[in-house]
Amino acid sequence: MKVAYYPGCATHGLSKDVDIATKKVADVLGLELVEVEDWNCCGGGFLDERDEKVHTALNLRNLSNVEKMGLEKMVTPCSVCLQSHRLASTKYKENRDLRKEVDKKLKEANINYSGKATAEHIVWILVRDVGLEKIKSNVKKPLTGLKVGAYYGCQMLRPEQVMGFEPSFHPHSMEDLISVTGATPVSFPMQTACCGFPLMGSNPKIGLKLAYNVMNSAKSKEADIMVHPCSLCHLQLDVTQLKVKAEFNLPWTMPAIYITQLLGLSFGFSAEELGISKIAQQILKEKGVI
Amino acid sequence: MSEKEQEIVVKIKRFSQDKGNYWQEYKVNVDRFTQMTEVLRRIKTEQDPSLSYRASCHMAVCGSCGMKINGEPRLACKTLALDIVKKYNSNVITLEPMDYFQPIKDLVVDLDDFYDRMFKVKPRLYPDKEVLEGKAEQRLKPEDQRELWKFEQCIWCGLCVSGCPSVRNDPEFLGPAAHAKGYRFLADPRDTIYEERLKILIDSSWRCTYCYQCFNVCPRDVEPVTTIKKTRAHTRFLKDRSAVAEIGEKHIEAIEESIKDSGMIKEAEVYLKTYGVIASLTDLIYAFQNGKLKYAFVKEMKVKNMDQIRKIMGD
Ligand code: SF4
Ligand code: SF4
Ligand code: FES
Repeated sequence: MKVAYYPGCATHGLSKDVDIATKKVADVLGLELVEVEDWNCCGGGFLDERDEKVHTALNLRNLSNVEKMGLEKMVTPCSVCLQSHRLASTKYKENRDLRKEVDKKLKEANINYSGKATAEHIVWILVRDVGLEKIKSNVKKPLTGLKVGAYYGCQMLRPEQVMGFEPSFHPHSMEDLISVTGATPVSFPMQTACCGFPLMGSNPKIGLKLAYNVMNSAKSKEADIMVHPCSLCHLQLDVTQLKVKAEFNLPWTMPAIYITQLLGLSFGFSAEELGISKIAQQILKEKGVI
Repeated sequence: MSEKEQEIVVKIKRFSQDKGNYWQEYKVNVDRFTQMTEVLRRIKTEQDPSLSYRASCHMAVCGSCGMKINGEPRLACKTLALDIVKKYNSNVITLEPMDYFQPIKDLVVDLDDFYDRMFKVKPRLYPDKEVLEGKAEQRLKPEDQRELWKFEQCIWCGLCVSGCPSVRNDPEFLGPAAHAKGYRFLADPRDTIYEERLKILIDSSWRCTYCYQCFNVCPRDVEPVTTIKKTRAHTRFLKDRSAVAEIGEKHIEAIEESIKDSGMIKEAEVYLKTYGVIASLTDLIYAFQNGKLKYAFVKEMKVKNMDQIRKIMGD
């Protein structure tokens, strides 16, 4: 199966390990990811507050490039990029005033968007299109004994009317994927709560508190590590985790790895090959997984 | 029981001052027209008069029947029992009071905190003196009306606030509904207290974490988070900004500049411009400790067809 691949800026930057692991896993599963030609930033969940028209047009430029490639599904590993594109195409369809102005911009920039290409999350493609059975058949090294907290965060789920893949209050895609690796999925109260990343640019004190709430909630249900579906959650729950640890004086960590990093481990890739962070490696070693 | 009726099991989280919290179960027959407020009415009148809940209009306009249904903040009157059975593939439905607010009895919560927040943003139009004296008339242009219409639809139900993580963690955040109301007047060309509204709204707007819970749960599709985004765009018009608003504005300016310049967000540059050298270095140390430093120096790309980006961004 061939799909257009939109990594997004973080996935090509500080969350590069997400990109690495996702490509490796896709390769094993026979999922052909073709990078969107000359893609641009989606606005990172922020640009629409400066200018809704510019934000919409920039996102539609990416989708139009997907159409030019003869494809309709654009898959991204980043929940923020996903939501940004889906909000843009929904608004474009539903808001006549906005559409008129966006059309003007697209025309000036010589961009054609027919409305066919849409953004999807890699988790959706894995669960729905590749299928859990196929993923399971590629597991070479079951992660038995590892308790993995299933974290969803915000933007892969909300708003439900725009994302639409699973119920936003009772999702199960992440638990399903954890199960096929042989690890034990752990559901916890804050699994759909915000990790605090969007607040780090204005109110980091509360941003760190939100990250702590999530980590603590997973800890209270005895998870060893968490998995998550977002390149920006990755920054918050990975590198920033050490800040949270210092700020709240914690004697423990709750490392969070990307969902394809977990799948990659069960497919037999090493932690280094998947770019897994040091704090996560430490726990995985303690648990005898690596 | 007629063929189209079905029995549901309703589990209600009850609360009273003397008994504290406890769960109670009821069985009710419903058909495809039965709203959850009707389910509650039948329980109260036919099975257990001690049960307390609020409902008035039964048509999603009074805002009194907000509660958690199978964990989702919803209006009970706008929720059909069998839709929930179908969505969750189970005839067991749980009802709980809204989160965040103090329960008074069973499903009834204390909404004083919600009203306080709403009144803080001066939720009414302050028209021109001439208009108040009846000497002039103020008309709204259709395009302005269209901009405001969505944000007008709030029925003060409190569901968005009950789901908002920022309200829970940050006492200085006004909350989604108050922001929707505040923006509705901030953007109304007939209003006369723009400056005062800016002072009330700007700092708080930078305290929202963009989790989209308010957008998700609002039964009137108000999209409070959209109003917060739109409010932030006014930050540049406020002279005395709080620290939170100042750094927030710097951050978003850095993002916009980066996209204008390369079509991408260059993390390192945005970081440096937002936080300055010292904070950025501290974070580099954390990245090093976690073995991630190598990614901080990944070669950043640039969009090839920058001409298109420039045209879209209007330069
Ligand atoms: S914005 Fe929506 S959810 Fe919030 S109080 Fe108003 S109607 Fe209720
Ligand atoms: S998007 Fe903002 S206002 Fe809405 S629920 Fe989340 S934090 Fe609260
Ligand atoms: S009873 Fe009025 S909104 Fe539900």
